[in-house]
This record gives sequence, structure tokens and C-alpha cells, in this order.
Amino acid sequence: MAISNMERKPLQLPSTGLLIWFSFLAVCLAIGLYAAIQVFIHGLILTNMSNSVPWGLWITIDLSSIALGAGAFTLSAIVYIFGIKRLQPIIRLAVLVGFAGYTSALLTLVMDIGRPDRFWHPWVFWNVHSVLWEVTMCITIYLTILLAEFAPVIVEAKFFDRWPFLRTIAHALHKATPFFAALGLVISLLHQSSLGAAYGVIKSRPIWFKPSMPIMFVLSAIAAGPAVTVGLAYVVEWVTRKRTIPHEVLQIVTRFSGVALLAYGYIKFWDMAAVTYYGRTAGVTSAFALLRQETPFNFSFWVGEVILGIIIPSILFLVPHFNKSQVYAVIGALSAMIGIVVHRWNVTVGGLFVPLSYSPGTLYTLPAGTYFPSLYEWGVGLLVIGYALTVVTLAVWLLPLFDRHEH
Amino acid sequence: MANKKKKIVIDLTRRDVLKMALATAGSIVAAPLLTTGPLSPFGALKQQQLEGAAQPGHGAVTGEYHWGMVINLDQCIGCEYCVRACSAANDVAPDKTWNIVVKEKTTAGHTFFFSRPCLHCQNAPCVEVCPVKATYHREDGLVVMDYQRCIGCRYCEVACPYDARKFNWESRPDDDNAFIPAWGEAEVKRRPRGVVEKCTFCVQRIDAGLALGLTPGEDREASPACVNICPVKARTFGNLKDPNSKVTQVIEANATFRLRDELGTETSVYYIPPKEGL
Repeated sequence: MAISNMERKPLQLPSTGLLIWFSFLAVCLAIGLYAAIQVFIHGLILTNMSNSVPWGLWITIDLSSIALGAGAFTLSAIVYIFGIKRLQPIIRLAVLVGFAGYTSALLTLVMDIGRPDRFWHPWVFWNVHSVLWEVTMCITIYLTILLAEFAPVIVEAKFFDRWPFLRTIAHALHKATPFFAALGLVISLLHQSSLGAAYGVIKSRPIWFKPSMPIMFVLSAIAAGPAVTVGLAYVVEWVTRKRTIPHEVLQIVTRFSGVALLAYGYIKFWDMAAVTYYGRTAGVTSAFALLRQETPFNFSFWVGEVILGIIIPSILFLVPHFNKSQVYAVIGALSAMIGIVVHRWNVTVGGLFVPLSYSPGTLYTLPAGTYFPSLYEWGVGLLVIGYALTVVTLAVWLLPLFDRHEH
Repeated sequence: MANKKKKIVIDLTRRDVLKMALATAGSIVAAPLLTTGPLSPFGALKQQQLEGAAQPGHGAVTGEYHWGMVINLDQCIGCEYCVRACSAANDVAPDKTWNIVVKEKTTAGHTFFFSRPCLHCQNAPCVEVCPVKATYHREDGLVVMDYQRCIGCRYCEVACPYDARKFNWESRPDDDNAFIPAWGEAEVKRRPRGVVEKCTFCVQRIDAGLALGLTPGEDREASPACVNICPVKARTFGNLKDPNSKVTQVIEANATFRLRDELGTETSVYYIPPKEGL
């Protein structure tokens, strides 16, 4: 899409390209809203989830969008806690991506629970033993932190000229950024890993029950989150034809992402060798045999998670020749994104696909799960993705994301 | 980029080094004090866990009752009456019954019938994972649900090792329970769409029966529907804490096992294997 000349004037009119893009988003949102309303009216029976596979596409979207929003806490920590101040220009975009990701996750969660009217229950009825409770608390607290970090940017928009006191508040909030960064780091490390622990603690499911789950979740998020921010920065630059973030900054972040991906790859290798091979149990062996036999698990693991998710992006991010290229950075970011989504899908649906066996006899195990998302589930997926893209587009269009008049 | 590399200047005074050393030493001393010592906020929790471990199977039970069941696989004839009586008394949907009965085979290849209610684990995975404490332990060992609180996240369904939990994917039509009135009348309210549900050992009968001075497991009015209906008396119910109750005596007189005991779930349901062994 070509968007010509978007100057920051008091009254901005969207260009033709932007209008086309907005109408595309509107179509996505309309389809998605229709699906969502149908689900609210008729219940989750419209999905293809069942009592043997109670979680599906929506949980995958949920986990992926939180992981892809991890650039916000990673880069905030790098800039404000580890003091690498020259990466400062990317912070606003990273926080925006984080905000879009986390709100998307909450949106999906509300669709996914059976009683959306009770979404507030975890805040009132605490179960401190539940990983999911901790995740819910952390996500909502972290979303508040993201809002506090992002509010000053919103208030900087021309529209808020008429309320000077908002600027004063925003300035105070802005001064507290290092505090928010520290708090955000703690909270994010907690819930990013706990999302893995949510599976890792389930002792009845052979391929989930292992201590490497939380580490793999948090490391993959730290690796891929910043890459997504870089990819977005380049795409925004192509579309608006304006410099967004200094390329040196983007190249440093890309390299960081590459190194983190290698670390993630190492842990994945260790997990495969130590946990699922040398330390495997009979249950794990037969579970993987079943997965390989009945689903494209082998293909999705090696091609989706390892080659697309780790090897290709880390080469594109780390080899100096590729690192300097914008196109390769965007391809790498997309590839890493696919890796994250495939990994979350494989964990969720793969683990549920393997049937439980608890009968003392030799004959009876539950039937293996079957699951492919229904059209309504895809529709709600479209709603969430459309929402995230709308938030990002509006922010890029209306907010001073890349102004560097301060610092 | 390479030429813009910033020099890292390390500027440490003797005071800094001393401070760091002190902080490290302090942390090393503080860590065990805070995590294991009498000052530790986790102390009470740990004590609780130790006490639970000292009494296997009674981790969550603090009251004078611990309701449990023995299912004799040697006697079960696979008639599925338990499924029907349960579905009538608890108004359970036909496609997600709380009890199941399945045909099974021993290693020698002989058929036996295996049935399963909720096992009411004393270390219940579903209770641990519930984000809102909608599933909880009663002090008599029962694992029950507050349907007003459940948000329908289905984490308990994912966590239960025994597939004992069922989610209400849709609103049920009024007339979908063919077991009423032939097999009993509904004693509890139907669960709404969007919540998970589970077997309660007919908690409504236990509570009402105790209030009337009856003994659950002995008096029919106070016993679970599946136990009452069984034509071959394959199921025995009662108080595991009472050495004179029928259920305790059956457990003492027979070799029993529990399902997936290696998970440490400490179920309240015991099984007597078929005579020829499993």
C-alpha cells in the first residue's frame, strides 16, 4: 500500500492508501464481530473444541500475542535498567506492540471463557496456587504498566492541547518510566514463564509435564518480541516513506534477537535431548509416537519451530550482510513469528491430542483428540488480528511515535 | 556501528567492593533464614504440607468424615445402572455423564467392566489449577464446585488425569434427560451453559442425611445414587475415617488399588481388581 506524504498537520486527512487499508481492516472487524456475537449468543458449541480438546486456536492466539508483545518489557529493561540509552528511540513502538498484543490476548480470553460475564472473578476470588490465576493477575497489572508507559505518548497528540493538566500528569508518569520498566520486567518474567508452567505443571499429560516448559516460553518470547518490533518499524517506514527509528538501533535490536533465538534454540535442543530423550518415560515415548503417526507433528516441529522459528531468523539477524538489509530483517521477524505461533499451537493442541489413560485394564484409553478450528473460531481470530492491526495503524497515523524532540 | 562503540569504564572504589561483598554475604545468610527457618513466611505452608504427607490420603481432610468409595471390579457386570441413576439424580446431560462404565480386558485377555465416578483426590489437580477457587475441597474430602463462581476456562478439564470433568458447551434443551423419572428425580439444579461440572458423590444427600442423623453409606437416603442402584453391590460408600464403617472394612479385607497412584493424587476411590488379577 502506498501512503503518500503524511505530514503532521492540525487536521490530517487519511490518504487513499490508508483508506483502502482501513476498509480492509473494517471488513476483518465486521466478519470477526459477527462471529463473536454468534458465539456469545449460541455459546462455545459453535467452536470445534470438545471435552477431549478443551483448548484450541484461541489459546494459541492468546499465548502467541503475549509472546509477540514481549518486546515491550525486554527493550524497556534494556534501556532503563541496563542503561543502554541509545536504544531509546525504539521504546515507544515496542510499548505500542506490547499494548496491542496484551489487549488482543485479553480480548481472546474473554471470548474463550464460558462465562465472559464473570471475567473479573480472578481479581476477587484468589487462588494463589493456580498458575492461571497468577498469569491473569500479572497480565492485567502489566497492561496497566504498559498504559502508564504509553499514556504520555497519547497525551502528546495535538488533540490534547486543550487540557494542559493532562500533560502535567503525563510528564510525571514519564519521569517514573524506569520504575515501570523494573516492575514490568519482574511481572513479565513471571507471567511469560508461567504461561509455560501452566502446561508444565499438568502431571497427567505426559508431553507437558517437564520443567523446561516455562524456560522455553519466556526465552522464545524475549527472542521474538523485539524482532517483531523491528519488523514493524521497517514496514511502517516503507509505508509512510519516512524514517522511523535510526537503522543502527534497529540493527542492534535485531542482533540481540538473533542471539536470544540461539539461546532459545540451545534450550530447545537440551529439552529434546535431556528431557524428552534421555529422561523420557514410557508415557512420553508413546505420546510422541502417536503424535508423529497421527498428526504432522514432526514436520511442524522441525520446519515450523526449528527451521522457520530459530535457524532462519537467527542467520538473518546475525550474519552482518543480512543484518543490514531491511527486507531480510522483516522476513526474519515474520519467520520468528511463525515459529512462535507453531510452537504454541504444538504445545496446546499436541498435548491435548494425546489421550489420557487411567484405566487399570489393557483395552481402554480415551480416543485421541481431533481438532481443527471451526469457521467461527477463525472469525474471532480475524477479529483479534484486525483489532491489533487497527490499534497499530491508528497509533502510527495519529500519535508521535517517532518524534525525537526529547532526550 | 563498530566505530561508535562506547567504552565501558569500570570505576570501583574499595568501599564499593566492600559493599558488594557485604550484600552478597547478607543475601547468603538471609536466603535460608527466609525460606526454611522459623522466620520464614513459608514455614506455616511447609508445616501444612508435612502434616499432609504424614497422613497419606488425608491431606485435605480436616473434619471427622472422609467420604470414600470402593468399587469391586470383580463384581461389576457392566449394566450401567449407576450411570442412569446418577444422571437422573443430578440431572446430567446424556452426552457427558459423570459416571462412566467401559468394557475392559485383563492382561490375560478376559473381559471385565471398569466404572469411574469422580475420584475425589486429596491432592486434586483440578483444585490446584482453578484460577478462582470455584473447585474446592470440603473438609470431608469431597471435591465440589461453586457453579456461581466458575468462569468456564476449562483448565480443570485439561488438568484432571481421570477425565472426570465436563464442560457445558451449550444450553441444554429441557427434555434431554430420558432417565427422569424412570431412574429418579432431579435433586440438584441443572448447571448453566459455560461452566464445568463434576460428580459430587451426591453431596446433597450426604448433607441432608447427616442433618437428619443418618449415616451416609449405611442409610440409602444419605448415600450416592450410583451406590444405591447397583444390583450386585459392586460399590461401597462411607466414612474412610471411621474404622467400623463398611467401606473401611471392605478396604481392609481386600487387596485394593487406586487409579494412577503414581501421580500422588491420593484418590478417595479404591478399586478391588478382578479375581484373576489385572
